[in-house]
Amino acid sequence: MSEPAPVIEMRNVVKRFGDFTAIHDANIDLRPGEIHALVGENGAGKSTLMNVLYGLLPRSGGEVLLRGEPVDYGSPNEAIAAGIGMVPQHFKLANSFTVAENIILGSEPTRGFNRLDRRRAAEETAEISRRFGLEVQPGDVVGDLAVGLRQQVEILKTLYRKAEVLIFDEPTAVLTPQETRELFNTMRNLAAAGNTIVFITHKLGEVLAVSDRISVMKQGRIVATLDNRDVTAQQIAALMVGRSVILRVDKAPPSELGAPLLRIRDLCARGERGEVAVDNLSLDVRAGEIVGLAGVQGNGQDELVECIAGLRRRASGDIEICGKPTGRTPGDNRDLGLAYVPADRAHVGLSLESGLWENLSIGHLESFRWGPFMRTGAARKRAGELIERFDVRGGEIDKFAGSLSGGNQQKVQIARELTRPAPLIIAEQPSQGVDIGAIESIHRILVEMRDAGRAVFVISADLDEIFSISDRILVIYRGRIVADLAAEDTDQEEVGRYMGGLEDRPRDGASPERTAHVG
Amino acid sequence: MSAEVSVPPARRSITASPIFGKIAASLVALFISFLLGALLVLALGESPLEVYGLLISGSLVGMPNFLVTLQMMSPLIFTGLAVAISFRAGLANIGAEGQMLVGALCAGYVGYAVELPALIHLPLCLLAAFVGGLVWALLPALLRVYLNVNEIVVCLMMNPIALLLTGYLSTRVLKAPGPTNKLPDIQPTAELSTFSLFSQANTGLIFALVLCLIFAVVNVRTMRGFEWQMIGKNAKFAYYGGVDVRRRALTVFLVSGGIAGLAGAEQVLGQYRAYYDDFSPGYGFDGIAVAMLAQFNPLAVPLAALLFGALNGGSAVLQMMTGLSKHLVQVLQFIVVLVLAAKLSWDWLKLGRSQTAAPGSDPPAEGPHVTAGDR
Repeated sequence: MSEPAPVIEMRNVVKRFGDFTAIHDANIDLRPGEIHALVGENGAGKSTLMNVLYGLLPRSGGEVLLRGEPVDYGSPNEAIAAGIGMVPQHFKLANSFTVAENIILGSEPTRGFNRLDRRRAAEETAEISRRFGLEVQPGDVVGDLAVGLRQQVEILKTLYRKAEVLIFDEPTAVLTPQETRELFNTMRNLAAAGNTIVFITHKLGEVLAVSDRISVMKQGRIVATLDNRDVTAQQIAALMVGRSVILRVDKAPPSELGAPLLRIRDLCARGERGEVAVDNLSLDVRAGEIVGLAGVQGNGQDELVECIAGLRRRASGDIEICGKPTGRTPGDNRDLGLAYVPADRAHVGLSLESGLWENLSIGHLESFRWGPFMRTGAARKRAGELIERFDVRGGEIDKFAGSLSGGNQQKVQIARELTRPAPLIIAEQPSQGVDIGAIESIHRILVEMRDAGRAVFVISADLDEIFSISDRILVIYRGRIVADLAAEDTDQEEVGRYMGGLEDRPRDGASPERTAHVG
Repeated sequence: MSAEVSVPPARRSITASPIFGKIAASLVALFISFLLGALLVLALGESPLEVYGLLISGSLVGMPNFLVTLQMMSPLIFTGLAVAISFRAGLANIGAEGQMLVGALCAGYVGYAVELPALIHLPLCLLAAFVGGLVWALLPALLRVYLNVNEIVVCLMMNPIALLLTGYLSTRVLKAPGPTNKLPDIQPTAELSTFSLFSQANTGLIFALVLCLIFAVVNVRTMRGFEWQMIGKNAKFAYYGGVDVRRRALTVFLVSGGIAGLAGAEQVLGQYRAYYDDFSPGYGFDGIAVAMLAQFNPLAVPLAALLFGALNGGSAVLQMMTGLSKHLVQVLQFIVVLVLAAKLSWDWLKLGRSQTAAPGSDPPAEGPHVTAGDR
């Protein structure tokens, strides 16, 4: 393969946040027509580096060359004008607008007297869409589209602005396997047309499947750039973490299972838009086991957990916590014996603009009651002890929770929830935004809780995490439990097939007892 | 829990000492508004030093002037405290004006219509004012808490309704004989006694200060105060954490309305000795400014009220001694509010920006993290 001149070269790029250096002397070159994967753990600096390229973050040192010319983008607008586009992980679309309106938003085609030229917008959208084999219709309203199609709208947005370098930030995180395959086809088409694709991810299988070259980031450095031909997943994994990946937490096999502490029967619930999100779902979680709920995001996990926690009204069905039906409010369910570590730390699990001691005290308030008064001194003292015991780094009791990193925020939540005398623990995305060392310690805590006879229910979009700690794996697809598997009898591929809805029912060959609990 | 847990460096942007930051914010807002005010005075052809000198001497120097300032600040403490309590719990009770009017009418009515010994009569009048304010806050509170209707809009509509209702009652239904639109004078047993002949400053001021002290304790030392604060910081979090958010929010809103009603009692029982139609120059609205300047801290409310009271008191002197209108003082007060509001929205903007600027898995807003396992 010849080596064409790079479109973009980043030389010795440095990015500092205060006195913390997020990117150390990063060197990377992007060639026309290639799919360049940028891999690394959470927090390795992948997105930060690309945000520097895209003009979202000013760099602290080094230079960026575009076709050999040094450039310095103060804002994404300048980067877009130079032909760099970003397909964000969290879509930035106006849901009530049509596809065409979203695409032209910000660079509207006009005709005389500055009037919006809707027809041209629709035509151009359809034209680009056809050229790259995308399926979206210009007149569709974005809010009605599936996630994969919304992503296509984002892609079209960058193409409409004549992007030649497209940065995909974790594009597959929200997609089903089917949609992922389609995305890869689109990426290949785009690359074949001479565009440069940057593919940010931490999923090694996808990297090997689609990319031409692979740059591995670790702790803010690009540790290697490799051709896809000569590497294996193990090699990349080793480069990413710098030590062998621990795939499973060391744990004893589960001891005697106790009574079901969480019992759900025929639960139905609706989502934000009134759609059926949880559909006649039944499941049990028993004392002494860790049950992992796997599923692609948006298949009803959020609604299920909110129903259990008392944050959402259910349409029908029964939920029992520790043998008693759930109450009306989260407070009632806590009293029944629920400890809940929510995924949404910023809005539900923590008050970011309150001190750590306040964040650690809620849910434990009764223990600080003295008549109408609150023994704040005792609450603060206990908060200090928890910060130490759960190793919350940089934690002082008066510091705002928002000033902590994601991993330490998670530890604050865990410290608060797991120190409640609650037999049922629900941990939702426990390692989201948490770096690998902290993940291990969080998983170890959950296993300790299981060994102490509590029931642990883990909801995660991350299969590695599910396999790392679960004794039993449930798969949710379109609001139903489609599989109930013992962790040691299954593998990621099988679970992945269930997650993608490819095996909605057990096939003839599948052993019937595996799906005994199908709701 | 483990030796090899990552070491994420703490983000440093949030100040170590929130209290100093808060005081500084208020002082900066004051400084900016006085600076802008000085420019305005210059543009009007007067000397800023002279004007500010007059404002100070006219409000704080000399017993009579100072007593007028105390008289001016008394209602502002009540309304400022009322607004501060609600805002701290995340509820924007900007209906203090209407609640004060209704409370005043209730105090005025009970003050003249009932004959009782002072020991019972005065507390009964205060209670009537509290209940009046509370009832006037009931509609916005219920709509807000149970139907999530924006309380700002409802409160804004309740204010003119209160003015018209009290106006109707005091000019038609309960009007005292004579040319003035007022209720009959209250009984002496319902009076809040004044300190001096020079001013209408009365024992209501002491009551207001005690109330501030009580709520300072309630805020930081009681279960309710803690829960109110958590609701204000993040209601969803409080709900998740087991706080009965609806009931607590309702309580806060109603208590806030009741305290605003007490401002009316202070006016009627202490200053005017009768309910006069349309008596308020906008104490309820000034209370919002006072609460903001005090950063919703009950202990700072009297200080902020003192400043606003002094400005109001000094403005009369200013108008007599120079060609300037006393409305200049209002301009100053409004600038304070604007600067403080700008600061609030600045925080909000920054928060919004950091969220949009952080797509992907490594958001800089969360603080970058490194793994410290090796190297």
